Amino acid sequence: MTEHISEDDLTLYYYGEGRRRDAIERHIDHCADCSTLYREIAGTLAMLTEVEAPERGDQYGAEVWQRLRNKLPDKDARWWTALLRWERLALVGAAAVLVVAAFVAGRVWPHAPESAPGAASNAPLVARGDTGSTAATAAKAESAAGVESRQRILYTSVADHLDRSERMLTDIMNTAGHADISTEQRWASDLLDTSRLYRQDALDAGEQSVAGVLDELERSLLEIVHSPSRISAADLEQMRRRIDAAALLFKVRVMSDELRQREQPPERSRPRTSTQTIS
Amino acid sequence: MDATEASAVLARARQGDNDAFRALVEQHSRSAFRLAFRMMGNEQDAEDVVQESFLRAYRQLGRFESRANFGTWLYRIVANCSVDLMRSKQARHDQVRGDSLDDATAAELPDANLAGPDRLAQSAEIDRRVQAALRELSPLERAAFTLRHYEGRSIDEISTALGLGTSAAKHSVFRAVRKLRVALAPLRSLES
Repeated sequence: MTEHISEDDLTLYYYGEGRRRDAIERHIDHCADCSTLYREIAGTLAMLTEVEAPERGDQYGAEVWQRLRNKLPDKDARWWTALLRWERLALVGAAAVLVVAAFVAGRVWPHAPESAPGAASNAPLVARGDTGSTAATAAKAESAAGVESRQRILYTSVADHLDRSERMLTDIMNTAGHADISTEQRWASDLLDTSRLYRQDALDAGEQSVAGVLDELERSLLEIVHSPSRISAADLEQMRRRIDAAALLFKVRVMSDELRQREQPPERSRPRTSTQTIS
Repeated sequence: MDATEASAVLARARQGDNDAFRALVEQHSRSAFRLAFRMMGNEQDAEDVVQESFLRAYRQLGRFESRANFGTWLYRIVANCSVDLMRSKQARHDQVRGDSLDDATAAELPDANLAGPDRLAQSAEIDRRVQAALRELSPLERAAFTLRHYEGRSIDEISTALGLGTSAAKHSVFRAVRKLRVALAPLRSLES
């Protein structure tokens, strides 16, 4: 063998792979350049010593299951897929009921004076007793409680919706290249319908940040819905990059967590009207 | 769990039996974690990969061929989830590379004449630089290299695990070795 051995062939040789192993061995013995190069490669790789993973005990599997169990989809994918239409109807129906309930509640509950920007901003006034009338104070407190209650319903519903969206997006992010994403597309289509309704609710409730995240989510859902079912690896990669670039998964998780915090009812020791709007 | 029992558990899991899936999770979690840790280099990311891998396995159980080995299938999922998480992290932190080797100067290199505790500190420094060099690799390079170097997988096995052609798998390993050789050259001179 008169030609030098390539670095790639020497790498394969180091790992015990590749062809012409005997010939390479003989060449290294007689060629100073190749021998030096091989020593460099071997020296580098020898520095990368065994990576010992931290030990996990016998209970580790059970711990993983505990963390996992609540995140599993409710049903087996095969018939879960078949039930998508029902889930879609249920989700859209639930959202519609929420919208109607909020509208009716708005009509039925006593209205705050027009000078006040909203029931929530009336809360400090009620807490301070500035209205002068016990009956009016009680009515306002009741009104504020109704608003709080409706807001908590909205927070819970949107947080659930964001959790479902997160699972779907994670699925897309983890799908191998050139895959059939028709299941995810049906899922995204359901979420898209619901998302639009919740975004409108959020806007009506003055929750701009929630509406903003839902708006971004809708754009990604639309892209998923309108992609070919048999998506190419390159298109899938582009889609992932866009989701990544928008940090969408992160925003969805953060918003969901925030709404979960906000959906908690106020503590009994605090006045009902002393919400976060006081500050 | 013998082969017949494992096959029965797998069949039940594919039919939507969560208890059967739980048995699979409990059986394969530790090996999944070991691979994820080698791929990601830290516990937190490895835990995320383990969780994502099982979620993905659960969703795709219907597509899993019952004759195949669940452990082998999960191994591929863990490898690919690791690549996905690396990509995701890389995209987010492209501009923030605190441990970039570009910032290293000769003055910061460990001293070859140290002994005792100082030598230990030097060893830790070498490890830090090795980890930094690994982080400089692209996700595919790092995954392919980890499977070849730490997991002892052949190029053909790497190609199957990562869903790459043999040539792409091979060149991912080559590129990784080339980059590591350049990045660790200053340390190599100290070692010699």
